[in-house]
Amino acid sequence: MRKINKEYLLILPFFIFLGFFELYPIFNLFVKGFFNDKGVFTLQYYKNIFTVDQYKVAVRNSLLFSTAASLFGGVFGTLVGYFISKLKGNTKNFLLSLYSLPLTLSGLVVAFAFIVLLGRNGVINQLIRMIFNLPKDFYINIYSWPGIVFVYGFFQIPLMTLTMAATFENLDKSLVEAGRNLGCTTIQTWKYVIIPSLAPGFISGLSIQFAGMLGAFGTVLALVGGEKNLLSIQIYFQTSESTYNLPQSAALSVTLILIIAVVLSILNAIEKSLKRS
Amino acid sequence: MKRNILEKIIIAILVLYIVLPISMPIIFSFSKFWQGILPKGFTLEWYASIIKRPKNYSALMISLFVATMATLISLLISVPASYVVNRLKGRFGESLRNFINVLPMIFPPVIVGSALILSFSKPPFEFNGTLFMVIVAHTLLGFPYMFRNTLASFRTIDEVTLSQAAQSLGASLFQRFRYVILPNVMPGVTVGALLVFAISIGEFEVTSMVAGFTGQTLPLQLFQQIRNDMRVASAITAFLIYVSLLSFIGITLITSKARRS
Repeated sequence: MRKINKEYLLILPFFIFLGFFELYPIFNLFVKGFFNDKGVFTLQYYKNIFTVDQYKVAVRNSLLFSTAASLFGGVFGTLVGYFISKLKGNTKNFLLSLYSLPLTLSGLVVAFAFIVLLGRNGVINQLIRMIFNLPKDFYINIYSWPGIVFVYGFFQIPLMTLTMAATFENLDKSLVEAGRNLGCTTIQTWKYVIIPSLAPGFISGLSIQFAGMLGAFGTVLALVGGEKNLLSIQIYFQTSESTYNLPQSAALSVTLILIIAVVLSILNAIEKSLKRS
Repeated sequence: MKRNILEKIIIAILVLYIVLPISMPIIFSFSKFWQGILPKGFTLEWYASIIKRPKNYSALMISLFVATMATLISLLISVPASYVVNRLKGRFGESLRNFINVLPMIFPPVIVGSALILSFSKPPFEFNGTLFMVIVAHTLLGFPYMFRNTLASFRTIDEVTLSQAAQSLGASLFQRFRYVILPNVMPGVTVGALLVFAISIGEFEVTSMVAGFTGQTLPLQLFQQIRNDMRVASAITAFLIYVSLLSFIGITLITSKARRS
């Protein structure tokens, strides 16, 4: 018995690394947001988030942007996942592999790719202007909010596709057949059998999307610089630019963590209640 | 018949959706000039500039070094940890596994970055702005993927039974690791390593927060070049895509081999 216990010490390097470099720093975020430069306790940095326009707008934008991007990725990813799950053999495996490629791509790579493809003088915009004989100042604008959501789709859609393809795959076909045999109409089968068994996968896919989007900023920064105001970009600027203000960045970081935690727990609760019904 | 054609069209669109954007930087990087709709000329000049310009070359070397170190550290902490977690019974093991799975979600890169800056900018732990900090940051972002894949491998080979057999033959812990466990979990470990390496090579967000002047990696150079020189930027972008492609091909080969056997 004692011998087995000793083997468990192998997990120590992991705990030390994680504890010292991730948990301790995160704990620090929660503490340092309450103290100013001189070490005096203050609630000012948290008050700022509710009163200073720059931060209020950032929080609002982050929520709207993440919702839009996750829904965009969620809907299209589900459709693509459904389509791929119906395919067979090599085509299916090829598409699934292809759609896992964006997961490791740098945000800057994607920004660059879309600037060449859809920037002001991007290939597609030039083509459209030529074919439809449009004026020189016409272009599909990837530097706008909808444009940025579309660009992030390149990460979000494949992510959702992989989750949903697996969910559709695991959909118990015998359950669907049983429903039909019991005389369910198509609508009833969808309502009582298919959607309840797909919903948990869909919701957990959405959670991943939403959390990821709240923290994202690399691609936005490469596309529009600091022009678009997001919570993640505010945190970035407070830590690295001339507007260096560490306690404020700590308060903003804690806000971001809390928003993610709340959204994830709501989605998790929905997922659980769906599983039960 | 009609359905078949429709299916083919959708497949083509799905392939184009991924392939078209990532082929842009690659075409750009080989062409002399691209202002109009079609690129003109063929050149390797922009790739040469990665090696010839000292700033780009040092960034390339730093990136390779950081990615290698981050992969090694992830390996050193994740493999023993998943060995233990696989053996833990009951709630603790399960909640630890869940915790590591949600870790990247609840603490995204921007949070990891600001937390590191906040905690390691003053003595006694003044790591901010050092290469060491960059390596730590990349390890933090990468290790959950290593852990997940390694643990999955431990589960599929039923490590506990294998180890018991080896133990009954008198194998020590080290011998078991060397001759029984590692060869069997190698596919999962390799997939994890390829993921960590690819993530590290392309990482921009945390790096730009903690790097300072010493840790100028390739993506940081790319960020500057996007504003200054699109042609050099195209070669760096293409290089990053090649690394992702290679690791992704590796992963596909390993997983399809594992599925077949």
